[in-house]
Amino acid sequence: TAGIKKDIEKLYEAVPQLVNVFKIKEKIGEGTFSSVYLATAQLQTGCEEKMALKHLIPTSHPLRIAAELQCLTVAGGQDNVMGVKYCFRKNDHVVIVMPYLEHESFLDILNSLSFEEVREYMFNLFKALRRIHHFGIVHRDVKPSNFLYNRQLKKYALVDFGLAQGTPDTKIELLKTAHSEDQQGSCLQTNPITALGNGVSVSVTAPKQIAQQSASKAADRRSCSLSKVQMKQGREGGKEDSLHHSVQRSVFGERNFNVYSSTYQENSSTKLIKQSKMIDVSSRKLVTKKKIIATKTVSNGAARKAASDCPLNLPCDCYATDRVCSVCLSRRQQVAPRAGTPGFRAPEVLTKCPTQTTAIDMWSAGIILLSLLSGRYPFFKASDDLTALAQIMTVRGSRETIQAARTFGKSVVCTQVVPTQNLRTLCEKLRGTNSSSKRSQGEGPSRSENTTALPVAADKPCAPETLGKQIQHLQSFQEGDGALEMKATDMKGWDLVPDEAYDLLDKLLDLNPATRITAKEALLHPFFKDIRF
Amino acid sequence: ASLPFLKMPFVALTKKTVSTKYRPFYLQLPSFPFLNYCVPKPYSPFEVDKKYSSGQKQTQSTQRNKINSDKDCGMPAQFPQKDKKKRGYCECCGKKYEDLQTHLESERHRNFAQSTQYKVVDDIISKLVYEFVAYKDNDTGKMKRTKCST
Repeated sequence: TAGIKKDIEKLYEAVPQLVNVFKIKEKIGEGTFSSVYLATAQLQTGCEEKMALKHLIPTSHPLRIAAELQCLTVAGGQDNVMGVKYCFRKNDHVVIVMPYLEHESFLDILNSLSFEEVREYMFNLFKALRRIHHFGIVHRDVKPSNFLYNRQLKKYALVDFGLAQGTPDTKIELLKTAHSEDQQGSCLQTNPITALGNGVSVSVTAPKQIAQQSASKAADRRSCSLSKVQMKQGREGGKEDSLHHSVQRSVFGERNFNVYSSTYQENSSTKLIKQSKMIDVSSRKLVTKKKIIATKTVSNGAARKAASDCPLNLPCDCYATDRVCSVCLSRRQQVAPRAGTPGFRAPEVLTKCPTQTTAIDMWSAGIILLSLLSGRYPFFKASDDLTALAQIMTVRGSRETIQAARTFGKSVVCTQVVPTQNLRTLCEKLRGTNSSSKRSQGEGPSRSENTTALPVAADKPCAPETLGKQIQHLQSFQEGDGALEMKATDMKGWDLVPDEAYDLLDKLLDLNPATRITAKEALLHPFFKDIRF
Repeated sequence: ASLPFLKMPFVALTKKTVSTKYRPFYLQLPSFPFLNYCVPKPYSPFEVDKKYSSGQKQTQSTQRNKINSDKDCGMPAQFPQKDKKKRGYCECCGKKYEDLQTHLESERHRNFAQSTQYKVVDDIISKLVYEFVAYKDNDTGKMKRTKCST
């Protein structure tokens, strides 16, 4: 389109060094923090190669840019971790050049993958995660659009270190100082089905709403993988179709006022006017560890005022009860990193646990496996962190979630009791394949099977596969010998999903980050025994 | 004086170890999420799109935070479509902007853009191997070796 042509022209203009080196063909991805272009370049070896040019938003801090580059140069280039070819800069415009890997849209292939392909996909994802975790990188935004997959070539690449953070002993020098923190990109829902109390107004007279984060808005996180998916209408963990109002989320989840400029009304009080100046727009802050401590006590505008007006740390009787009062609501909010994509955030991220480890990436990998096994993507669809947590509860159990949260110092109250789901049953029902293999009882985490205390819609057999299977059976009568083989190819292994798959899924979706399986351990899991390459 | 929640499902969080330190955050839902097996593949079982929604959940949750509120700040049901203006937060200048292009042209940002702050980036670039050859320049037919970063 004309818009993209213009963008390409502007890019050449901003970074003139690109002019004779790259033929920029098209824009292949756009996020809040970068745009990615497909280009060709002539190499000294004589061949022409496809490249991905990632143009970072010029508001990115040099430290963030450098940290992303360092992740690519140090950890990238092997074990399915994207590497970097070169990097061009002119003033505040930085373009990272990476080898281009043509890749599938996860959503398009999700329900045509064979079970064996799923095994290979996960194995290769863990290889990438093992590598980055070895360097002490927490990716923070592991999801299909950041894990490029070329089905034909069986090539994989974990991309986008724009949100990465370092572990305390990280080997990435620049991640020691630079912290990408919870950032930006909230979004108001047009039709909120939830009332979120996160950031209840801090002053008695202030409006009460706070910005909610958008549901699965990859674009508002800092992600712009080399994928086209974000340009689809929001089913790819990308822009949420029903949500378009980027309202700012303050960087630390503090001072969120759900006041959108357009909500400003003539008759509003001065307070409102004041607050509408604090509109949340996509924002992020780069903070050093030192700064983080400082920021905890800093807020702005009305929030700061309120914070100083209200004595902090007063005890009240609401703790671990289903109540709130003006005392506990006057306290400041806890600050914890929460950048990432909503449906992929681990429980410890959703509950603002201040110490987050590489285990959060393993949870995200578990969510990917859950999608692969259930044929659903995105699996979780929540507009805010607590809705996301409630959805996790419906799969993993409310009591179990509450218990696990206690281990990392969070008290969760939930009025609804929902049981743990049997992962096999859950995935097979959602996928519409019923396993013919004998299930070993007592395997896996489950106790109850779909005994939801909730108004679950009548279970209509809405699975075309089931029908397909029956037809296959009919055919097998007619076709004799070749039939068994044919059935197997037809089912692509989905009729014989081993218990190991669900055992691994259970270990990835461990609610307790301390016991959650690591990438290194996952590669040794029986699920991957005798994997072919 | 504590205020009871409205009678509906909710999830709440408080900081356990330091129960008096942080503000709790909580959520009330008209209905608790549930796994809807009848949503067709590949959609999320939590999909609330009208097409698949089994229950109407269009309730505008104004019950939110009624506590302490003297007036509801009235979230309109409709927002205007997002404008072309890209707002955001500039990490370089440490400030929010209403329009990206305008901010990038501001003196403050220009100064930062031309500063030595980017040395940390250049240091990494200097270690990279440049392996490109310039395409033939159509105007002159000469091969140009493009100099890299400034």
